[in-house]
Amino acid sequence: MLKLLVRRLLSALAVLFVVSFITFVVLLCIPGDAAQLVLGVDATPEKVAALREAMGLNEPWYIQYLDWIGGVLRGDWGTSYVYGENVWTLLCQRLPVTFSVALLSMLIAVVLSAVLGILAALKKDSPLDILARTVMQLGGALPSFWLAMLFMLFFASYLGWFPITGYTPMSEGFGACLRSIALPSFVLAIGELGILIRIVRSSMLTALDQDFMLSARVKGLPPRAAIVRYALRSAVIAPITISGMQLAKLLGGTVIVETIFALPGIGRLMLTAVEQRDITLLQGIVLFITSMVVLVSLVTDLIVMAVNPAIRTGEEAVSR
Amino acid sequence: MKRKRSFSLTAGAVMVALIVAMCLVSFVWMPMDPEKMDTANRFALPGAQHLLGTDQFGRDVLSRIMEASRWALLVGVCSVTAGAAAGSAIGAAAAMLGGVLRSVIMRFIDGMMSFPGILLAMMLVTVLGKGILGSVLAIGIFMIPTFSRLVYSMVLENKQRLYVKAAQSYGCSRRRIVLHHMLPDMLPRLITQFSSSIGGAVLLESSLSFLGLGIQPPTPSWGMMLSEARQFVLSYPYIAVAPGVVLLITVLGFNLLGDGLNDRFVKRSSR
Repeated sequence: MLKLLVRRLLSALAVLFVVSFITFVVLLCIPGDAAQLVLGVDATPEKVAALREAMGLNEPWYIQYLDWIGGVLRGDWGTSYVYGENVWTLLCQRLPVTFSVALLSMLIAVVLSAVLGILAALKKDSPLDILARTVMQLGGALPSFWLAMLFMLFFASYLGWFPITGYTPMSEGFGACLRSIALPSFVLAIGELGILIRIVRSSMLTALDQDFMLSARVKGLPPRAAIVRYALRSAVIAPITISGMQLAKLLGGTVIVETIFALPGIGRLMLTAVEQRDITLLQGIVLFITSMVVLVSLVTDLIVMAVNPAIRTGEEAVSR
Repeated sequence: MKRKRSFSLTAGAVMVALIVAMCLVSFVWMPMDPEKMDTANRFALPGAQHLLGTDQFGRDVLSRIMEASRWALLVGVCSVTAGAAAGSAIGAAAAMLGGVLRSVIMRFIDGMMSFPGILLAMMLVTVLGKGILGSVLAIGIFMIPTFSRLVYSMVLENKQRLYVKAAQSYGCSRRRIVLHHMLPDMLPRLITQFSSSIGGAVLLESSLSFLGLGIQPPTPSWGMMLSEARQFVLSYPYIAVAPGVVLLITVLGFNLLGDGLNDRFVKRSSR
């Protein structure tokens, strides 16, 4: 158990290093001079040279990387030249918006996919299963920006149930906030359903097919009790892992709905950073989101380790 | 035993055939010049003259959709081909080499997997530049981890098989073993993945174009058409319908085709 834990922690650290490295090296290749970008085209060459020196751009790339990572570890994520503010401050301002949208959409997706996926697996090839599979396929194929526009037209403009665009912060009331993020969350949730229903349905089908279900039946357990006590418990692991990953990935995947519904979140911040070539800001955002993905997947793995007796006792899970 | 006909396979094949046919037809015939503006006929309703109506410049929507299908398929196929080739090579190399190098390569692939799709694509486009080439490369790089992981696990699995040990015993090189002996066995799963990935690539390209980071005007793309329609969607809802439906059919078609092929070839051979 301890050995497994240490190995998992080390591998997470390695992936974190890789992620920061990829981010840094890729963005280092951006054509153009970062100092020139900050000062604008009118700046004198002397000024640009001075700023290059001050920004450490004359150092070799590995020194620049170490400087950057060192700063990040000390809490200094650099200054965005577009906003003139610390990247960390900007991230903290925008995170609540993105996080609430991501969390709400995952809640919707997890509940719907659990219900649909489990029922579909129990009644394979029934009309319900066909419905679940249709939702799954559509969820994976519907372009989120198109769906967002259709939802906006129907639910916000035609029915008037939700505001068309804009974000109401939590401080102005829970209900108003919820209404402002409901449509974007639904749009994202439908995309997630494509992934989650597939996982829930197939892990449930695998669980139902296991020997322990047969032995439960042999010892006379009613089917319903066998499903609740054994099948569900065994089928829950893969969906937990995937849901955690998807939640973290959503933090970086909200850019489209944020653009359409005019939400001031991390996605919009990133789009600005890309359009204005604000490298420091982009580095910060990318590192933040990918680190979240790595950390969340670590945490979900730890939860799974705690839940799954086969792993907890140090045995390899037997899967056939 | 007669096999049950697969709905996914048929439906997917029909949808893909429709889109490919539309793309091919666009080279010989389009209802109108997709670039021609006609300000007197802005936002025309679908009708006899313009089957799918016109956009904010009075351009024929059907013609624009047809021309855009070329770029969608081009970017989809090219990016996935590039990603599949590079990813498979990396995965096979990691599995055959073993040792420290294998862990380094696979941790690197894990790292790439931690990037949400649109985030990685946006970051890469910043470096590679907007436009068709930038999109192809960015989406191609995004596809690498998927194929690396797939080929990596398949090669590891095949390495234990007797036929590979036999090939090793009479002195085949590692490259020859992978290309001549393992590849035929891996091909069904690779083709399946290839088809599903094209759906994902088309979707990602349209998202980039929607954000203004992909295909640049005046070249039409479905994502950009929808992005333009967004400004007028509240007054003229119908202009947002057609490009979205075509995009949905394309992505759904390739996904279903991938699923159908998977049911037909992969699940059977693994049994």
